[in-house]
Amino acid sequence: MATIASSSSTVLLSASSSNLLPFSHPSTSRLSFSSSLSSSSSSLSISPTFLSHNSSNSRHFVNHSAFTINASAAKKKKVLIVNTNSGGHAIIGFYFAKELLGAGHSVTILTVGEEGSDKMKKPPFNRFSEIVSAGGRTVWGNPSEVGSVVGGEVFDVVLDNNGKDLETVRPVIEWAKSAGVKQFLFISSAGIYNPTDEPPHVEGDAVKADAGHVGVEKYIEETFGSWAVFRPQYIIGSGNNKDCEEWFFDRIVRDRPVPIPGSGLQLSNLAHARDLSSMLTLAVENPEAANHNIFNIVSDRAVTLDGIAKLCAQAAGRPVNIVHYDPKAVGVDAKKAFPFRTYHFYAEPRAAKSKLGWQSTTNLPEDLKERFEEYVKIGRDKKSIQFELDDKILEALKVPVSV
Amino acid sequence: MARLVALQLNQLSFSPLASSLSDFSGTRLQNQLQLKRTFRQPKGSFYVSASSTKKILIMGGTRFIGVFLSRLLVKEGHQVTLFTRGKAPVTQQLPGESDSDYADFSSKILHLKGDRKDFEFVKSSLSAEGFDVVYDINGREADEVEPILDALPNLEQFIYCSSAGVYLKSDLLPHAETDAVDPKSRHKGKLETESLLQSKGVNWTSIRPVYIYGPLNYNPVEEWFFHRLKAGRPIPIPSSGLQITQLGHVKDLAIAFVKVLGNDKASKEVFNISGEKYVTFDGLARACAKAGGFPEPEIVHYNPKDFDFGKKKSFPFRDQHFFASIEKAKRVLGWEPEFDLVEGLADSYNLDFGRGTFRKEADFSTDDIILGKSLVSV
Repeated sequence: MATIASSSSTVLLSASSSNLLPFSHPSTSRLSFSSSLSSSSSSLSISPTFLSHNSSNSRHFVNHSAFTINASAAKKKKVLIVNTNSGGHAIIGFYFAKELLGAGHSVTILTVGEEGSDKMKKPPFNRFSEIVSAGGRTVWGNPSEVGSVVGGEVFDVVLDNNGKDLETVRPVIEWAKSAGVKQFLFISSAGIYNPTDEPPHVEGDAVKADAGHVGVEKYIEETFGSWAVFRPQYIIGSGNNKDCEEWFFDRIVRDRPVPIPGSGLQLSNLAHARDLSSMLTLAVENPEAANHNIFNIVSDRAVTLDGIAKLCAQAAGRPVNIVHYDPKAVGVDAKKAFPFRTYHFYAEPRAAKSKLGWQSTTNLPEDLKERFEEYVKIGRDKKSIQFELDDKILEALKVPVSV
Repeated sequence: MARLVALQLNQLSFSPLASSLSDFSGTRLQNQLQLKRTFRQPKGSFYVSASSTKKILIMGGTRFIGVFLSRLLVKEGHQVTLFTRGKAPVTQQLPGESDSDYADFSSKILHLKGDRKDFEFVKSSLSAEGFDVVYDINGREADEVEPILDALPNLEQFIYCSSAGVYLKSDLLPHAETDAVDPKSRHKGKLETESLLQSKGVNWTSIRPVYIYGPLNYNPVEEWFFHRLKAGRPIPIPSSGLQITQLGHVKDLAIAFVKVLGNDKASKEVFNISGEKYVTFDGLARACAKAGGFPEPEIVHYNPKDFDFGKKKSFPFRDQHFFASIEKAKRVLGWEPEFDLVEGLADSYNLDFGRGTFRKEADFSTDDIILGKSLVSV
């Protein structure tokens, strides 16, 4: 962690919006700033976690943000992450914890369930030592007993990255309130948006009234002084608990056709986990700007289902054979046969850009290359996989499969 | 040199419309501009307005974008000249525009008659007049722009109407201004013009609209749907109807053009200008129906590969996803669209098609080919 000794005790940083750099390099991320106003000295900590170069001596920052950071808002926070023990959102807590720790904040991550469970043998949980060695604390337990699980530790911020309904999140909210937590953050879902003729889903658009996440969002708004909710889509990145791009790699690397339901033109959104952690970190460090806001926590480009297949093939350096089919006509359940929603599902991160000065760094062509390298490194390309549903689809369409 | 032009009475009617949104004279939009200008004034300092009177030349300006843009500029107090061949009337009273507004506008607008392809004439006439700012809204090729730049060495700003059609087709959307462009596209003349502007060192701004719509549209965008809705016909839409496009209202575009005038932040910058949201083809059919007060349309999908329409177009949009992000214009210029899609289509309907006016006669020949075949192949 690089530090700069500053002669003044407050640090004010600003970046003019007209100097925003076009996004390009995927490994350049926003710098997180924090300054501690201790009585003896003040220091500026810069997180090198995702930097591509060491800027410890540089006063010229690559800053994608377009707002002024006040020293008072950038002080170190104590953050509790209540994290799910499985599924596509599990990765969020892992990246968020590491980014916060790199920025000098203190982190406890409470994972649902037991430390010894089989679920903990999968990523990202099998890499939690990285959180510990970065100075974070990992605990396990039931969120409904969060108070006793964290053992009376005091927090400034709580992120619930677990509950999908009020029954599950309410105990966490209630405890946070009574324990004097200042800011409550919640990972909701972009799946709650009503379908629309006019994409993209934008913060403020109508949502499904009966969705579990909606109940939670409403309750947080009614209950907490300072809050923000985040609606994600699909996430990629090392440490993912749920397959995403792997579904495509599995087929491409074995020279199998890639069956895509419908026209393949349906839009989706894949974001690298570092985009999610950077937005959440900005919210923690700028609570006034984040307060009372819904944020679509997604990358800023849509990709078609066909496009995902093509980009995965490019990343793998192999050809791709896309086959479209009608799930009903073939007699398969698209939810089982295909990993993404089969209708347009595209939200844009407009609130984060305008209110937090956040920028997306997801670069699918580059990021998928990295993902494919890891896919091969862990030997998944050699793994024996059954493609029962694929075979059923291809049989119905009379598409030959090379052996 | 003002010219009051005889109206083509069979084209326009005078029925007034009670709708705060259907403001042809741009009063509502004008107020918007004035409000924003007030906020920019620093207190107690000598204020040099970005809208201090300028001598402005518009290449074109008598058909669609220019009709609205010129009115806004004249209202702002600028001296505005339209460079056209004079084939269309220099001014026409617009539906919903009061007689006094129209009289005021037409008494102030100036006309320079000529063919912009006559480069010698362009050069000599422009250098004789001298202009502070040029809006080029009908230029297609770079060679059309060169004589203008040569004629006006002290030009303060060259504002160009380019097109989002220059973007290279991509699996990742929306298009942002930093995206790759396609040197082989149908709009490569626009790209070459942008490159020329960059190379010449002039202070330029380039605007890239997507599909423009609104009253007086001469491109049959909304009109295509309105013809079918009015005739009670099904709407044939190619493939899945899930292709996503984007429409931007002409009045919002005109305001964006005014916002970049004399604006340092727009210097040597490109801006996508269009609507806040995108729309599927099927969704657009439904939106047009709502806007015109028609019942929900019957949509018929077809595979365009099954048909040969010869030279005729069976659908007014490119058969692909095509949309661009307006985030840069919002952030840098503080501009944002006033009209949402249904509102904007209603504005177009109420002031144009709904009054019995349109540019192209209905032609359902390709529809009948499609519908005939789909009736047969059950």
